[in-house]
Amino acid sequence: MNNYIEVKGVQCFLDNRKVLDDINLSIGKKEIVSIIGPNGSGKTTLSKIIIGIVKYSHGTVALNGREVKEMTLGEIGKKIGYLFQNPDKQIFTPTVYEELSFAYGYNNNLNINNKEESIDEILEIFDLKHLKNNSTYFLSPGEKQRLALASILINKPEFLILDEPTTGLDYKRKETLSKLLKRYENQLGILLISHDMNFVKKHAHRTLLMESGCIIGEI
Amino acid sequence: MGVLSVKYNFDPRTKLIIVLCLSTLGLILTDIYQLTIVLMVGIGISNFFGGNFFKLLGRLKKMLSLLIFIIILQSLFTKGGHSIFTIGSFDIITNIGLNRGLGYLLRVLIIITSGLIIATSSDRDMIQGIVKLGLPYEFAFMTAIGIKFMPLLIEEFKDTYIAIQLKGIEFKTLSLSQRFKISSYILTPVIASAINKSKQLSISVENRAFRVYEQRTSIIDLKFTHMDYLLLFMALTGTLLTLYIT
Repeated sequence: MNNYIEVKGVQCFLDNRKVLDDINLSIGKKEIVSIIGPNGSGKTTLSKIIIGIVKYSHGTVALNGREVKEMTLGEIGKKIGYLFQNPDKQIFTPTVYEELSFAYGYNNNLNINNKEESIDEILEIFDLKHLKNNSTYFLSPGEKQRLALASILINKPEFLILDEPTTGLDYKRKETLSKLLKRYENQLGILLISHDMNFVKKHAHRTLLMESGCIIGEI
Repeated sequence: MGVLSVKYNFDPRTKLIIVLCLSTLGLILTDIYQLTIVLMVGIGISNFFGGNFFKLLGRLKKMLSLLIFIIILQSLFTKGGHSIFTIGSFDIITNIGLNRGLGYLLRVLIIITSGLIIATSSDRDMIQGIVKLGLPYEFAFMTAIGIKFMPLLIEEFKDTYIAIQLKGIEFKTLSLSQRFKISSYILTPVIASAINKSKQLSISVENRAFRVYEQRTSIIDLKFTHMDYLLLFMALTGTLLTLYIT
């Protein structure tokens, strides 16, 4: 399988504390891999290393054959869609429409001629059409979650990283998120970080277990 | 030095008065050399209290480029004096402009040093120190909460900046007008979140019976030690002497 994400011998220290040790991980282009593990095991740190937010001290991390250290966050953002644990961290425009149309003004990978069509389509898929002109500050947590994911997918990423996407969602909302993910499963690869074993089972091709900064096994 | 400050556990009022002296000198003095001396003394004092000025400076790396940009602007828009750098018939940098720019930088660094000195005491001790100096508890509480929220706001600025870039936006390729437009997107969520946080905080403090009684008691009992008196004497004498001489 052609690997899209390749992590080799990565070690990471934060505030002089070793948080990741000798991490080796390969994920194929359309593979869905999940990482589970207790709080503080290094799952989120690993995902942040992959998208270049957190720096690592040893080893290599490559996206589609290119070393992450050599790429800007903008370049990585064009390839990878990252869903933060807290969607408030990535919604920054005043309205739902602006959040979805934001990247069209700056990301030259997107076709501006299809802008309205793509926005309407994604609003429909994510059940946000009725909120198109609403303020993002007054959305419910579930709506924020859907908007954050929609604004990532409208960028047409090659790979998705979802950090604890089910946190704070009730059963019904989890089901909605699950259906949305199913829709994209055959189109792109996904790295799913979660505590929710039931959710993970529905989507992942394989599941890795992390503990104390190490990958200790595969389920 | 830091060990000594831990040993003597200095009164927060001593630190507040020293900060008052430093900032007064920073505000009144205009000579670059004098401001440099004040900064050096400030760094020494912050180090004495257990702070690390250079470590803090490392964390503020991104802010430093903004400061340097402001110095250059100050220098560019100040007329008069003899020119140091010219392009054609235009004076780009003059000695007066450079002096003003450097003065500005030194004052900002003195403020940072003062903040560092204050940060060497706990929030609760500092509130008590402000109250004992005669200021109302509400004012002290507000100040301490404000200081506590600063790192959170900085963190939110950083998060939004990262989130914007992760939408596939490469800042380096953007024009100046596009960068300005994006800056407004960084500011808006941070302000909205600050308002939200303050709302939640006010509900939380009300729930914990904040200001139910006129007089507030405290378990923390502050006492000046001999070392406090010695430091205060040195700080006040030094400040008055400097002001008298200049």
